[in-house]
Amino acid sequence: MVRVENCFLKLGPKTSFYCEKFYAPPKSKIALWGPSGCGKSTLLNLISGLLKPEKGKVIVNGVEITSLSESKLDHFRGENIGFVFQTFNLLPPFTALQNVVLGMRFSDTIPASEWKKNAKYLLNYVGLGNRLYNKPSQLSVGEQQRVAIARAVANKQKLLVADEPTGSLDPKTADSVMELLLKLCNEQGLTLLLVTHDRNIAERLPQIYDCSNLVHEEVVA
Amino acid sequence: MTLWGIAWGYLWNRKFTTFLTILSVALAVALISSVLTLREETRKRFEEEGQAFDLVVGAKGSPLQLVLSSVYFMDNPTGNIPWSVYEQIKNDKEYVQSAYPIALGDNYQGFRIVGTEVTLFQHKWVSPITGEERFPFKLKEGTFFEKPFDAVLGALVARETGLNIGDTFVSSHGFIKLPEMLGGHDHEQHPYTVVGIFDYSNSPFDRAIFTSVNSVWDIHAEHHEEEHGTQEEGDIKYEEWGKDPSSMITSVLVQLQSPALRFQYREMIRESTVAMSATPVEEISKLFEQFLGTAKTVLLAVGYLVVIISALSIMIGLYLAIIQRRRDLAIMRALGASRIEIFGSVLIEALWVTALGILLGYFIGGGISRIVGYYLSQKYGLSITSLIITSEHITSFATVAVVGLLAGIIPAWQAYKRNIARDLMEL
Repeated sequence: MVRVENCFLKLGPKTSFYCEKFYAPPKSKIALWGPSGCGKSTLLNLISGLLKPEKGKVIVNGVEITSLSESKLDHFRGENIGFVFQTFNLLPPFTALQNVVLGMRFSDTIPASEWKKNAKYLLNYVGLGNRLYNKPSQLSVGEQQRVAIARAVANKQKLLVADEPTGSLDPKTADSVMELLLKLCNEQGLTLLLVTHDRNIAERLPQIYDCSNLVHEEVVA
Repeated sequence: MTLWGIAWGYLWNRKFTTFLTILSVALAVALISSVLTLREETRKRFEEEGQAFDLVVGAKGSPLQLVLSSVYFMDNPTGNIPWSVYEQIKNDKEYVQSAYPIALGDNYQGFRIVGTEVTLFQHKWVSPITGEERFPFKLKEGTFFEKPFDAVLGALVARETGLNIGDTFVSSHGFIKLPEMLGGHDHEQHPYTVVGIFDYSNSPFDRAIFTSVNSVWDIHAEHHEEEHGTQEEGDIKYEEWGKDPSSMITSVLVQLQSPALRFQYREMIRESTVAMSATPVEEISKLFEQFLGTAKTVLLAVGYLVVIISALSIMIGLYLAIIQRRRDLAIMRALGASRIEIFGSVLIEALWVTALGILLGYFIGGGISRIVGYYLSQKYGLSITSLIITSEHITSFATVAVVGLLAGIIPAWQAYKRNIARDLMEL
């Protein structure tokens, strides 16, 4: 599903990122774990095409995304990769329903005539069938994460990337969001890559990828 | 959900600043729109009324002044001409369809008293603007004047003065109401009696009081003997008034057998009489081109300056909004939106603001035109349409739209080139 090979990226004057090899098979659920600043989010951004490596390859779903033009990459990302961020996931002016519809707006996977129907189904699935027309400011942080999860799979994406999805949540809400993510991935056969610095969260996933050695300080002689 | 909807969502999300930006565009457009509307409508109305007569014949002087004083009752007359000129013109049936004498001299509460003949009240013409027949002298009540000091009031005069049929009033000397210390005085010996009131015609005639030529002269013959005693050079032959009260008039309004004869007949008047003639529609066109054209240019320049200021406010507003919502733009990119779509959505915001500003400004401009139009109708009897669309309006609105779009380009470009990974990580 996801393969990263010899990816190099300069992060600053004296720091660089290097990942020799990372592989996530289809339907796998992997925690990218490590302390803050270790490069786990950078790895996730490379996999999702938000960053482009200076050297190396990233292959997602059989497509070498590092060789795609920017417009093709945008299109590919919209159709194949679902995102859940730590916070500020939703666009404030729009309702929960509109936010999920936005997840389908920029790709051709779902016909426009089915956007609303699909969004309502997904919001029901994540337990927010009664909050369709609420704006983000009217939703709790946990509810916002659920809307973001619904949006992340709106295009029937097979790869879900989550960057600290429980980082802003209290333990009880974090637990319910994790349950929802895992349930969704199991039921729909998704591949999940979840960035976290929390060992307890990481251990809830079947696999942990230690990101501790991805960022390197250049040694000046 | 379209890009238009997304753009609108963000504008609606910051309603107050959006409203202020739209209002600033609207005020600029209102200024431009009202200037164009008022100029076009007043020009049309002046030209329409100017078409009522082919020529105005009066004392030598400024042709524009002659037209303004005798057709629109707005300026002082150029002087007086002998009654014989009127007789000569009236009897020239080969060229002249109809001719009407005009004798000015007094006012009542600022409304001019126009000495003429009742034949004027049969005068009709076809409006070149609407193609409809214009007939401004429909009596609302009463009759035309028959005896000396009978008066027929224009509709506006009746409304403003409150005079009714049978009421009497005393005229004041001159063309405007002056206080006594500035030489103003009333002709108390000869009160006028209201015998008729015209219906509204939306023409300068609404602001006039009509009476016979003799009535005007009877007053001034006596007044002159009391006040002046002698004739002033080049002025009215006062000494003749007592002997022949119909000896001098202010002007003659002339309807020719055909408008094509205007130039030829003007030359004939110049060669064969002591008077000069002017073509109202030509003088009004010159007035609009030479004098009001400059005023229009200045006002439009102010309007476009405000447009530029508004464009800057659009640009600043959008620029700040883009900085504030860089995270949102990054999420949209993560959801698959291309750079072009992001660019487009920001540009559409500018377009929304500009389009709504133009629409609102057009109606505010209509409101301004309506208020100024009300003043014009009260002051000059010119009724104007407040909401019109001309090619000049379309050109100016298109210019504003382009400026608004240009104002959106810089913020849109900022949004276009943002680094999404960094924006997602920063917040």
